[in-house]
Amino acid sequence: MSALLKKDWFGLGLVLIFGSILISLFKPAFISPFNLYVLMLSVSLMLVVAMSQMIIIAIGQMNLSVGAIGGLVAISFTGLMEVYSMSILPAVLIGLLIGLACGFINGYITVKTGISAFIITLATLYIFKGMNLGITEAQPFYEIPEAVKFFGNAKIFGPIPYLVIIPIIITVLMWILMNRTSLGRYMLAYGNNVQSSELIGISSTKIVIYAHVISGLLAAIGGMLVVCRLQLGTPNIGDSWLLPSFAAPVIGGAILAGGKVDVIATAFGVILVSIISQALVIFKIDPFFVQIFLGFMILLAVFINRYREYREERRTKVFSDE
Amino acid sequence: MGGIKPPFFMNNKIPNFVKTNQFGLLILVIVFICIFSFSTDGFTSRFNIYALSRVVALDIMIGLAMMVVILTGGLNLSLGALGVSAAMFGGWCMESMGIPISITIILVLAFGSFLGWINGFVTVRTGVHSFIVTLATMSIYFGFMTLLTEAEAFRKLPEAFTDFGSLKLFNKYISPLLIISVLTCFVLYYIFKYTDIGRKLIAAGANPDAAELSGISVDRMFIYCHMLSGFLAALAGIMLTARIGAAIPSMAGHLGFDWLLPAFLAPVLGGTLLSGGKVTVFGTMLGAILVTLINNGLYLIDVGEFWVRFFLGIILLGAVLLDRAREYFTVKNSIVS
Repeated sequence: MSALLKKDWFGLGLVLIFGSILISLFKPAFISPFNLYVLMLSVSLMLVVAMSQMIIIAIGQMNLSVGAIGGLVAISFTGLMEVYSMSILPAVLIGLLIGLACGFINGYITVKTGISAFIITLATLYIFKGMNLGITEAQPFYEIPEAVKFFGNAKIFGPIPYLVIIPIIITVLMWILMNRTSLGRYMLAYGNNVQSSELIGISSTKIVIYAHVISGLLAAIGGMLVVCRLQLGTPNIGDSWLLPSFAAPVIGGAILAGGKVDVIATAFGVILVSIISQALVIFKIDPFFVQIFLGFMILLAVFINRYREYREERRTKVFSDE
Repeated sequence: MGGIKPPFFMNNKIPNFVKTNQFGLLILVIVFICIFSFSTDGFTSRFNIYALSRVVALDIMIGLAMMVVILTGGLNLSLGALGVSAAMFGGWCMESMGIPISITIILVLAFGSFLGWINGFVTVRTGVHSFIVTLATMSIYFGFMTLLTEAEAFRKLPEAFTDFGSLKLFNKYISPLLIISVLTCFVLYYIFKYTDIGRKLIAAGANPDAAELSGISVDRMFIYCHMLSGFLAALAGIMLTARIGAAIPSMAGHLGFDWLLPAFLAPVLGGTLLSGGKVTVFGTMLGAILVTLINNGLYLIDVGEFWVRFFLGIILLGAVLLDRAREYFTVKNSIVS
């Protein structure tokens, strides 16, 4: 039991369960099938985006270009289908390839120059976004194949949309990557302490590039999922991803200095943010409050993490004194 | 290190200034001015230079506001949201409350410093990187601002105030806003170079542990940096209000994001170290000038409005890579001599 209490996701899980019960007591509309459907859609889209940022946080860096990659892939994906009348599968593959290439560029430049990833991804954010606007001239693509529209709209059964399948698979894969593979553990080791991880023979080039490539791929998937959901490819897909992409991992207890992320807690963070946004809408609170709330949530999470760290430190100190 | 005499080309015959990246920037600025004046019509026209001076003034101020936080090794993502919030507060003071201009400006600057203080206080007290703190306060400030103003602009500002923004000096070439920015540069340069507090700020940013041991309250210095950043962002907000002639909630884009790229470009091009502890006031000024020039030139060359961002990104990337190369060579040289 005490081992369970120490997990990052445990407290969050409790908050989620009690919060949902409380909200549905006040507003039964919260658990209506339609609302659950909308909730699941927003969770599944943000889940992919949060994972894309989380893996970069794991190695102690930041990726500001997550949204720009998502947007570029989204308009390439739809553009290929509309302008070059390509079929879906090759368009998806090319979309993934673009995401991979963008991630590779980020990772390669960061690790080869030693310049902070913040600056590199700020520059590539403008490059990718500029390419997006240059190609589309800020006009959306509307001609989407029916199959894509169906995937974005249809439900498997009850209120569960098809769209949740891919994010759930990704979350499971990410959990396996971070907890059960040497690559994931190396990433955490690198994020924790670059020097010592190099001393035990971990190649930083490999780790940083892999992390950014995975981040790029996930951002690409996120962009294409948004296309399915919106049923069109607008150039401003990804513009609003930055805040939520950091919010979920941080609420899930990730440390920005690197070396500590929790996939399950990040997923719970996404769900928490979505539920709160949804609840604010149901209670007819001004949508601008959602933004303020998100900001306060991040600060609160930061304070709680800090407090837990502090308590941990004190406990270990007591033991070492004995 | 003594004993071996360095070869003649590596001794101090070359003035130190040539080795700094301010010098490189200056060359770049001159090169770009030459390119644009020959390849485009109207780059040197009175209208264009006046327009440039108004834009540069703001970019310098935003760059300085970011620079003083980068000094601590941190970042201030809330810069745009903070500046717009302060500007909207100023608009409310002047239009709804009828407070005189001079008092309004003082109030706005105090308000900006207060918002900066919140950033600094939370950062220092939690020990969390200022990136995440200011990411949160960015959405809090912007959210509150939109909520309180109901996204409505203040358009009936006193004429004396808006007239100042459209004033033309020096044979109608230069906006007075640019003079404010340049004066601010000199004041900041003086503070960082010659005053006790300025040296303490730099020491705290360069090596917090060493500064703490030598009796400087690092926490307080970091809070001062954030307050100064809020102050400068609020000043930028006032300047933008005067330039537009109205206080508009969306004047820095959603969440104030439009300010972020110039805010980072100017200090980074100017040679401010992202790890903290080094500021270059005039480097930041030159960086801002370079960015505005390129931006303006790209429009005049007609690369297409939508590709401007792409080229700005490429230029930022090129600039940091060049800077890296310069650092690499100067480090090699300094080891030799």
